[in-house]
Amino acid sequence: MVVAKTYKDEIIKLIDELYESQNDNIEAAAKMMADAIKNDGVIHVFGSGHSVGLGIDISNRLGSLVPIHIMDTADFVYRGGVSIEEFTDKVNIFERRPNMAGRLYNLYDIRKNDVFIVISNSGINGVVIDIAALAKENGHKVCIITSMKHTTVEESRHPSGKKLYMFGDVVIDNCGPHGDALLPTNGPEKVTSVSSICNNVVAQTMAARIVQLLKEENIELPILTEDEERNQRIRKYYGGRI
Amino acid sequence: MEIKKKYVEILKQQIEKAYDIQHEKIVEISNMFGQCMSNFGVVQLFGIDHDEEFVNELNYRAGGIAPFHALKIKDLTLRGGVKVADVESGRIYLPENVAKTADALMGLYELDDRDMYVLVSTKGNDPLVLELAKRVKANNQKLVAVVNKASYDACGGTLLDYADIWLDMCSPEPDVALDLAGVKVGQTSSTVANVIAQMLTAETYRYFIEKEGKAPVLFSANIKGADVHNNALTDPYGRRVR
Repeated sequence: MVVAKTYKDEIIKLIDELYESQNDNIEAAAKMMADAIKNDGVIHVFGSGHSVGLGIDISNRLGSLVPIHIMDTADFVYRGGVSIEEFTDKVNIFERRPNMAGRLYNLYDIRKNDVFIVISNSGINGVVIDIAALAKENGHKVCIITSMKHTTVEESRHPSGKKLYMFGDVVIDNCGPHGDALLPTNGPEKVTSVSSICNNVVAQTMAARIVQLLKEENIELPILTEDEERNQRIRKYYGGRI
Repeated sequence: MEIKKKYVEILKQQIEKAYDIQHEKIVEISNMFGQCMSNFGVVQLFGIDHDEEFVNELNYRAGGIAPFHALKIKDLTLRGGVKVADVESGRIYLPENVAKTADALMGLYELDDRDMYVLVSTKGNDPLVLELAKRVKANNQKLVAVVNKASYDACGGTLLDYADIWLDMCSPEPDVALDLAGVKVGQTSSTVANVIAQMLTAETYRYFIEKEGKAPVLFSANIKGADVHNNALTDPYGRRVR
């Protein structure tokens, strides 16, 4: 029978597996990000659905890196001049219209040394693949976080037939199962999921390592501390880019 | 110890602690969820900023239980006519404005007397969360609170005064796991909260199987055929979920 302890024991095992199997990839991603920040770059984070949690988890708290920008389709309404009626159209679904990624990309101040983290558990949907492809086309480094077990067995919904991980300079497997649901039951369904937790572990370990690498460079650390004046100054420095 | 490894070890300890000291409460709350849902009630979820991570972990999730629904600040701006600037400046959260904000938020959804609530607030002192808590209790509905007790105590939280039962994210205050020679990084509270959310999912599943022999478990939307299965679970609720 599935109970809380079943989940707790399995997630602890999975976190260990994630660390053991992905530490080298997370290390490579952290170096890529630290290099970008050192060269005045910003990290743009894009994830759809529940994948938005990763960017939120490493932003706006004590110890968080400041040069992190979360790309959000709601920005079409907030800053892209799209009406709420159009954005929430239930028939002609806004996020599935052509060139959504290009329009979103163009809403932001994206500069030469910026890097991208694109997250999708399935890695098969159009918008995330388009964002990663656009970032690559524009010469940016891209880190992909995905479930290799899921993405390798589902068909791509992108016209190119490609999967998200194919666009990564660094690819991190969140080690989640196909369909994200973890625990088998006596029935056809599997219950509970892991991707938000595994993605947070990837993001938090990566962020901590980025700060450690930047510290070795003896530059002013662009992180939030208990000094609110300093925080405001750093936020102002990055301005509209974050 | 290598910094990523250290983060992982601390996180695992906190997850073990969260389970050890609370597994009985997790069972009790899951039974409350199950009873509410068996009576055609919906478990309403609310949290602000990082506390929304817990909400997202229970709301319409692959491997999750269907009759949850989230009250979202974003809906206020996308559908409720509230200005983005009033959210970003924090104006809607000021004590003098929270009654109006709560009216606007609750007015967006089909809430029902059969519903119960989970309110998430790391510090337990968000005026808007407290306003919702007062309303829930005034209407004699069940209320579960999720706080980080160390932060709650340090910040003078009062949410637990309203709660029928509560859970602790078991993270330190401030919420930083790592110290790089005086530089504090690495948050854990939201990830531990996500694990708690998944343990609640597991136990709610157990409740349904024991009482009804089947459970309303959602499939990942990125698996073929999932939409039909998921819609069959949520359609009977109409606008009360989704």
